[in-house]
Amino acid sequence: MSDMVTLAHGSGGSKTSELIEKVFRKNLGNRYFTSDDAAVLPRPEGRIAMSTDGFIVSPCVFPGGNIGKLSVCGTVNDLACMGARPLYLTCSYVIEEGFPIEELEVIAESMGKTAREVGVNIVAGDTKVAGRGQVDKIFITTAGVGVIADGVSTSGSFARPGDKIIVTGDIGRHGTAILLERDDFGIDAEVTSDCAPLWVPVEAVLKVCPEMHVIRDATRGGVGTVLYEIAGEAGVGINIDRAAVPVAPEVAGVTGLLGLEPLYLACEGRMVMMCPAEYADAVTAALSSCRYTEGATIIGEVTSDNIGKVVITTEIGGQTFLPKPGNELLPRIC
Amino acid sequence: MSELTERTKKYLEEYDGPEIRIMEVCGTHTHEIFRQGIRRILSPKISLISGPGCPVCVTPVKYIDEAVYLALESGCTVTTFGDLVRVPGSSMSLAGARARGARVKVVYSPQDSEKYASEHPDEQVVFLSVGFETTTPSDVLAVKNAIRDGISNFSILTSNKTMPGAYEAMRRSTDAFLYPGHVHAIIGTGICSELAVAGTSGVIAGFTGDELLSALAVTVRKFSEGKPFWVNAYPRVVTDEGSPAARALVDRYMQPCDADWRGIGVIEQSGVELRDEYSDYDSRRKYNIPEFKTEYKTACRCGEVLQGKITPEDCPLFGKACNPEHPVGACMVSGEGACSAFYLYGGKL
Amino acid sequence: MCVGLSAKVLSVKDGVALVDCTGAKREVSAELLDDLEPGDFVMVHAGSAIAKITDSDENQAAKLAKEHLV
Repeated sequence: MSDMVTLAHGSGGSKTSELIEKVFRKNLGNRYFTSDDAAVLPRPEGRIAMSTDGFIVSPCVFPGGNIGKLSVCGTVNDLACMGARPLYLTCSYVIEEGFPIEELEVIAESMGKTAREVGVNIVAGDTKVAGRGQVDKIFITTAGVGVIADGVSTSGSFARPGDKIIVTGDIGRHGTAILLERDDFGIDAEVTSDCAPLWVPVEAVLKVCPEMHVIRDATRGGVGTVLYEIAGEAGVGINIDRAAVPVAPEVAGVTGLLGLEPLYLACEGRMVMMCPAEYADAVTAALSSCRYTEGATIIGEVTSDNIGKVVITTEIGGQTFLPKPGNELLPRIC
Repeated sequence: MSELTERTKKYLEEYDGPEIRIMEVCGTHTHEIFRQGIRRILSPKISLISGPGCPVCVTPVKYIDEAVYLALESGCTVTTFGDLVRVPGSSMSLAGARARGARVKVVYSPQDSEKYASEHPDEQVVFLSVGFETTTPSDVLAVKNAIRDGISNFSILTSNKTMPGAYEAMRRSTDAFLYPGHVHAIIGTGICSELAVAGTSGVIAGFTGDELLSALAVTVRKFSEGKPFWVNAYPRVVTDEGSPAARALVDRYMQPCDADWRGIGVIEQSGVELRDEYSDYDSRRKYNIPEFKTEYKTACRCGEVLQGKITPEDCPLFGKACNPEHPVGACMVSGEGACSAFYLYGGKL
Repeated sequence: MCVGLSAKVLSVKDGVALVDCTGAKREVSAELLDDLEPGDFVMVHAGSAIAKITDSDENQAAKLAKEHLV
């Protein structure tokens, strides 16, 4: 096989088959991985959740992961947010002519590994090759289907005054890692993306708290954006204790140097959960014993004041509004 | 939260002595005071006014016009701190110039700009040198490095200002100043004691929540003693002598000049510009920039906000025609501006 | 106007200091300060170290309170 992806690899002929067999089936293959036009699957029992996401991150490989791992985690986590066990994923690739096959293998291997970790099967896919410059290296779109256990129902609109707000780990890692890969601003810091699949922790949480109200994936826009979304969808206010918000020292250093707000930096393996207060400790304990969510902690609560707004209790016990998303200022200087 | 923090907060919350107006003259103070939730702690007897402390905000509109001219007409690569990119000029902002094909690049320090110039010898690089005494030494270092590196494609467009003129202009509008800690890290404390002798009180303040609380508490306590005073509440960074090395550096390359402060007007000898022997590094002289007349949008009341005469909420455009996405005036664009602080963190709790 | 960050000096050479802000390292100019040593804490602004930090903000607050707020 050649060392670069060529237009022939996307033409549907023998080169395409070769790519699928040697790169995709080799890494993603499972009993349902189909060569037919569609995968045929057993009917799941229960309500189905379905989700899709496109991934265009640049650079496509970064500390802590790559676009492939991201694409599996992204859809797995979207399903998990609805309380759905992820069952099947599809993935479609649009690859730029000239993309190194070796890198494609790294990406596919990563996807397979992540999928197997969670127990989800990648059952169908598609590969297209676009001419040089028509696509930035590689774009991946995944779609997924999962099944929701009886009695579980989560939604942003279910947040209720009195609910405690939990975040599953320290925030802003992915955004910071990508920022530093693109342009290091002269800063040298070891920050790895938090990209991770979170079905296992969610499953653990639902066992101790079937009455979970909200589970939402903090991705682009970070935890701050999720909080404002929920405040709007549920018609509630939100109070966050700044001192309780976990930020890794390196992330704090980078955001301090650049004048950025960590609550608005992207995550890719962090969830915001809101549950009735009486379950908060059990939920946090369940998360602490799972991989990827060891740093889970309560950061605030839902209120009936300041509807639609997020209020921060500051380190000195003052109160201020978190600026709304989209108002992120250009890094300040003087 | 420590017991001392609690006590200090309580003191400020419960203060019931004579009414006091405290003016802060530092954009970072404006924002940090909001961001830490300090405004809502203060008793109604304490009013906090924002003065002309945001270097971008006090820069006249014509400076943006000069920068746009350099970008579009002179074909320069304009490098700048992020704040300046969206400040409206008479016809467009630098962002507007960029949309028309100009090269506008955000940097995080003046040295980054000089480094960029040394790596891109085909580009004529200009750095927008805006700031007070805290930043001016870094701007000068960039020029010094350009000379050391022997590069001739780098220059700075200056609008650097100094605080003493502003203190003098504002001192009758307030009972006491909250002095900007990092300016005084450079210039020392002499001027604070001179002003106290002349009847104007003030306290040099740091920037953490605790530093701001303690500086405010000291200001209120000393004020209620009835005599003019000054206190250095930031001694871990500010010494009486400040930084003689920084001042000597600036003095070597720059000389005082008159400066136009948006909203206040010209304050004599309140700015600094490059000395004649360094005119090759002065963008104005190097590119023969024409004189621009200053034009202000009449409805924008940044000028009065900057003098602490009104609060941003008193401006009819605030939050409606003027907000961070569509700013009319510099006070709303700048990360240090009073209007942006009120917009982002203000509102009723 | 003064946004600054406190940082620990790791090394100083030829007027350039490598500083560390809780794990984020950057080179800044050390030309404005004399006798910077590794282990010193400095206030960083616009790419330069502008002043040495000689105490914690807790100690500073305690001393101020003792002097002015009793």
